[in-house]
Amino acid sequence: MSALFEASGLVAQSGLLPEGLDVSFKALPAVMVTAMLAVFLAIGYVFKVADTEGMWVAGRSIGNVENGMAIGANWMSAASYLGMAALIATSGFYGLSFVVGWSTGYFILLIFMAAQMRRFGKYTAPDFVGDRFNSDTARAIAAVTTFLIGFVYAIGQARGMGLVGLYIFGDIGIPGLTGYQSMVVLMMAITVGYLTLSGMLGATKNMAVQYVILIVAFLAGLYVVGFTNGYSTVLPHIEYGAMFSALASEFSEPFVTGGYYLWIATAFSLVVGTCGLPHVLVRFYTVESERTARWSTVWGLFFICLLYLSAPAFAAFGTDLYAENIGPVYETANSAGMTDAAGDVIVVLAAQLSNLPTWFVGLVAAGGIAAAIATTAGLFIAGSSAISHDIYANIINEDATQRQQVLVGRLSIIALGAITTLAALDPAAPIAALVSYAFSLAGAVLFPMFFLGLWWENTNRQGALAGMSTGLTIWAIPMVNEVVPAYGILGGVAGADGVISATLAQWLPAIGSALVAVPVVFGVTIAVSLVTAEPDLATKQLVRQCHSPKPMDRQQSAEDAVSGDD
Amino acid sequence: MYDDILVPTDGSETAEAAVDQAVDLAEKYGATVHALYVVDVDATNLALGTEQVERVRRGDLDEMPEVKAKADEATGYVADAAAERGIAVEEHVTAGSPARAIRKFVEDNDVDLVVMGSHGRSGLSRVVLGSVAEKVLRRTRLPVLVVDVHGDHVE
Repeated sequence: MSALFEASGLVAQSGLLPEGLDVSFKALPAVMVTAMLAVFLAIGYVFKVADTEGMWVAGRSIGNVENGMAIGANWMSAASYLGMAALIATSGFYGLSFVVGWSTGYFILLIFMAAQMRRFGKYTAPDFVGDRFNSDTARAIAAVTTFLIGFVYAIGQARGMGLVGLYIFGDIGIPGLTGYQSMVVLMMAITVGYLTLSGMLGATKNMAVQYVILIVAFLAGLYVVGFTNGYSTVLPHIEYGAMFSALASEFSEPFVTGGYYLWIATAFSLVVGTCGLPHVLVRFYTVESERTARWSTVWGLFFICLLYLSAPAFAAFGTDLYAENIGPVYETANSAGMTDAAGDVIVVLAAQLSNLPTWFVGLVAAGGIAAAIATTAGLFIAGSSAISHDIYANIINEDATQRQQVLVGRLSIIALGAITTLAALDPAAPIAALVSYAFSLAGAVLFPMFFLGLWWENTNRQGALAGMSTGLTIWAIPMVNEVVPAYGILGGVAGADGVISATLAQWLPAIGSALVAVPVVFGVTIAVSLVTAEPDLATKQLVRQCHSPKPMDRQQSAEDAVSGDD
Repeated sequence: MYDDILVPTDGSETAEAAVDQAVDLAEKYGATVHALYVVDVDATNLALGTEQVERVRRGDLDEMPEVKAKADEATGYVADAAAERGIAVEEHVTAGSPARAIRKFVEDNDVDLVVMGSHGRSGLSRVVLGSVAEKVLRRTRLPVLVVDVHGDHVE
């Protein structure tokens, strides 16, 4: 890993500045970012919960396609919008492990978890862990993990917003901070403000609209860049293959920048991480039926793939434009090559280098920022619910009123915003890598609990506690080994490449630690469950309930509730 | 003078502080007491997640037994207090942001008086949460009796 991200590893990043990017304030793109967020809020507000009685009556139900779009929008963060193309541009074939990992994850979700989660149907991800294993400790570990995932995931988003924000707003010059750092502070303030506003307006996200706006911005960018430069016409996703001979071998040749093991570890981590991400899983609690759960996953995968199949083409165009206009993309004797910062904005850079009008480049940039803000909002909500519902209302104060939960929730969001901003001022790695640390965590700790919890009724409390602690430990080791030194802590024991133990980094990379963690956590959980007492019958019935072939009859029970309430 | 008295409640001690006064007034005027619980969408969003707001929006409250139990418990407290004195009482549950939902309820129903508790918050929690009673006071044209939860001792 260290070799892969060498460019970012040691160089002080506080001055993160994507070379070639036009850094200045641009009015039209600034209006576009604001307009996108305003549209998200306005649509959420129009469809807000009506302040009327009769809310017990079943209202509008959401279909498969709309749900699929919601999954896509939830998913589409700066990591997908910016980070994936970035990694393909800087690391070529290695970047494809992200395309493969993130889409394969949905297959596992579809086959093993979506419908079962629907049958379980509680509120938050830690709810499952707490209820399934009858343990407040397990619930607390899951809640803390959820909070941590939100934090780590959001660092990547903040980095993306900070870099792309430079194109739109320029260097706003907060005293004592660099242009990039000022932008991170501004963007995180906007995100927290956006969240507060949407909560106060009762305007929850309208995910389908969000998805459409984001995918249009991304695809428009790809098509126009491809067309104006003569790279492609109708199907850039395939046409970019014709450029392979022209592109450097680092781009097209397998395993040049990252080894085989690292590729597999990364892809595996991303697959299991996808199946353990709290903000992805909770969506399945609320869909109308198991059938909807399955079909929404299929549609979600389709909508996600629209972006993922486009990202490599965008990366290829960007790489070629960079080589033409700025300099060598990959390290040569007299050039350091493209920096990770420039890579992370390659999507915007490609549009800018194509000499497209400012408003159009602004549209592509605005899409990236809107994707990051919307996803960060979702992550922060998952983090705040972990604290205010799972820890505060379920463990600390069981009589908590709604107002108290709002207070705790808002304070958790402010705390998350603050620590994310601090960690993003001097980020340790590119967007996609930062985000994968969160996937490793979700894969190592939560995925085994959900999978075993749903599929093996003898998994018990002791097994879960042992498994989760093991997962957390295995995740933390490479984080301390590779990532923590970048923040100046333990810097003394780290080697010249910023890593404490290179051997450990090779076999247990932070970006793919779930490849080691998942089998170990499964083993520990199963072994401990076998040697301790079986869970009680009620718990086993809960598990069987999740697999019962009898469809759940939502409509009827809804009617019962109505008549019972009058 | 008063035929319908609204008592908004979230089940907290603050809200319950107002119940005695409301019931007493209702008894004097022969009024009906309306207990109203608002499922706070902001609280649902922050504590349970955005997906759960969609669930509330769809009307799938039967799938949220804990939320419903809290609502029933809160309005039930008011109903019990009223029933003890033989006063007519109606329980209502709605969703939205509390102040707005209360105003909407007042507009849609012939309410003559709102009796509600107030926490008298100060400092940080005042900034973060604001006061529902204050907003109701400002946004409705009805008489509003605000009972300070800390005021009992002063009398």
